[in-house]
Amino acid sequence: MKNGPLFFSGLFSVLALSWVGLILGAHVQLGELRPFYDENEGRAFPLRSSGIAERGLLVYQDLGCVACHTQQVRRPDFGSDKDRGWGERQSVARDYVHQSRPQLGQMRIGPDLANYGARAEASGLTEAELLAKLYNGWGGMPPYRFLFTQKKIIGESSPHALVGGAAPGYELVPTARARELVTYLLSLNQSYEFPEARPYTPAAAEEKPAQ
Amino acid sequence: MTNALQNNVPDGVTEIDTTARCPLFLLVGSGLVWLVLGGVLALLHLAQSYTPALLADCAWLTYGRLQAIQETVLVYGWFGNAGLAVVLWVLARLGESPLRGRNYITVGALFWNLAITLAVIGIAAGDVTSFPLLQMPRYVQAILLFSFAAIAVPGVLAWSGRRSDATFVSHWYALAALFLFPWFFSVAQVMLNFVPVRGTLQSVVATWYAQNVFSLWLAPVAMAAVYYLLPKITGRVIQNYDFAVYGFWTLLFFGCWMGGRHLIGGPVPAWIPTMAIVCAWLVLFHHIIVYFNLREAFRPGSSTVLKFLAMGLGSYLLSAVVDTAFASRILAEVTQFTFFQQAQMQLAFGSVTLIIFGALYYLVPRLAGAHWPSVSLVRGHFLAVVLGLVLFVVALGAAGWTQGMGLNDAGQTFVDIAAKTKSWLLVATAAQGVLLVGNLLFLVHFLWLAIGQAPVWKLIRQPSAAEATVS
Repeated sequence: MKNGPLFFSGLFSVLALSWVGLILGAHVQLGELRPFYDENEGRAFPLRSSGIAERGLLVYQDLGCVACHTQQVRRPDFGSDKDRGWGERQSVARDYVHQSRPQLGQMRIGPDLANYGARAEASGLTEAELLAKLYNGWGGMPPYRFLFTQKKIIGESSPHALVGGAAPGYELVPTARARELVTYLLSLNQSYEFPEARPYTPAAAEEKPAQ
Repeated sequence: MTNALQNNVPDGVTEIDTTARCPLFLLVGSGLVWLVLGGVLALLHLAQSYTPALLADCAWLTYGRLQAIQETVLVYGWFGNAGLAVVLWVLARLGESPLRGRNYITVGALFWNLAITLAVIGIAAGDVTSFPLLQMPRYVQAILLFSFAAIAVPGVLAWSGRRSDATFVSHWYALAALFLFPWFFSVAQVMLNFVPVRGTLQSVVATWYAQNVFSLWLAPVAMAAVYYLLPKITGRVIQNYDFAVYGFWTLLFFGCWMGGRHLIGGPVPAWIPTMAIVCAWLVLFHHIIVYFNLREAFRPGSSTVLKFLAMGLGSYLLSAVVDTAFASRILAEVTQFTFFQQAQMQLAFGSVTLIIFGALYYLVPRLAGAHWPSVSLVRGHFLAVVLGLVLFVVALGAAGWTQGMGLNDAGQTFVDIAAKTKSWLLVATAAQGVLLVGNLLFLVHFLWLAIGQAPVWKLIRQPSAAEATVS
């Protein structure tokens, strides 16, 4: 390989080939993906998230939540995602078309959050309860106290203030970032159906005798 | 300088080495400082994984941000600096003339380190991209790119101005490392930060980038060093040298397709992980050739350099086998999303670190024109690093496997899983501590050699006679 130009075209084409094959290939397949219009519901899914939730995504990103939480449900017969109640079906690329920066994640020190909003709705978890959890920490999750400020109560107390936790005459108020984050978490929902992704029960599980 | 130390000079020191001293010492020294700093951060980060409340009130050091900082410091701070120093020196030696344009290295290195410092502060303040190995904020990335280009200039000049027409295997690997990084770095930067692609395509680009960092940048750096040093030290030619060219192209050709193994079962087209699994098998061809070329290294005798190279090469090969095995869907079902993947990454990075250590033990005394001052510090470093790395990878791997089995059993809560992995994570923390001590020893030893032998003011570069003749 004494021939310099040939060597460099070799280097270049190796990299270019993987770029064309992998990234351009995936782009051709997914780049034009659109929301799916569900005629029964009369709406297109996934829903666009609100501006506050979009800002909450930035908070999620900058705190590095992705280091412990994934946002991708694996199919029912691959891992225990369905059994843990994280989602009835596998996450697909279409679920993320509106997200400016999908936080798929590579580590599960905590639960998957792809359907967190749907789960919270089902269990009746309110915004105030989630804020309190964020302040106190729970399970293995650290508390995020720096997302709250202690304020002196002047006149009426804030409608968002946490119950307790502050000195008399003071109140614990979530910052705007905390409320954006909570709105974002509660907006996470992939519980609609797509033609390419419907809930199913794996064949192997059906054959297994009931335990 | 040389007169005063005539009795104490290592063999084969030439003008090539002495003229490159200042710029390369700057790279090596800053690399080692980042490595030690990264070790401290890694220790904190590991401690946080089983005591979540640690530093929880400090927004600058959340678990996620600390991970991003530590990753950035390790890859760009340590590998970037020290890897470039090794590559430049190998290219200068192969080019048979002193490096030209050495001021580019100094200026580039200053800006490179400035960029990493900015990146660390930026991430701590919350400007984190959430892409693995590309966590630094976008305002840093342009500085990194241009300073890399500046540092690479003398390397390219050394290649184009080489005395003999022939090229060697280490030439190819060294040049690949210098050229490919700016290409895929800028492509990833544009596609992720400046004009982001849509939805989960971002994850495809991000895994492609992260895999390239290893396969197209760090692995070639390591290979350039081993292919140069091994015949130099043993005095024997490389066995089956003709096959080396296939090994080289196999690594580059298949290596950059392997990133998709992190997306198994994820919301991307299924062919992406499948291609990755296939390429993980095919790239083993590179490792087989590397083994047959370089197996001489596994009989290191008493040479410290060869001991490091042997350990590094061994972990390099082992890491490839482990990566291939755990790319398969059956095993990935357990190990995906666990500490096991971090163990795999640490093994791969650890192999490159060991090889760079080996190279530094050879080149630093030649640059300094003096032997390493203390044999026991060398031994201590070797023992600490090998013991630390083995223990660290095994403990993280075991923690990951336990975690993965726990995750797949829906009856276990996250608190149960954390309780089960805790003991392994404690072992990993201890191992990280041992590694840190070893690296600290090396930093002290390096400073002793670099500053102790030559007074500090002599490190400031004087124009030498060589410059006039070269330019």
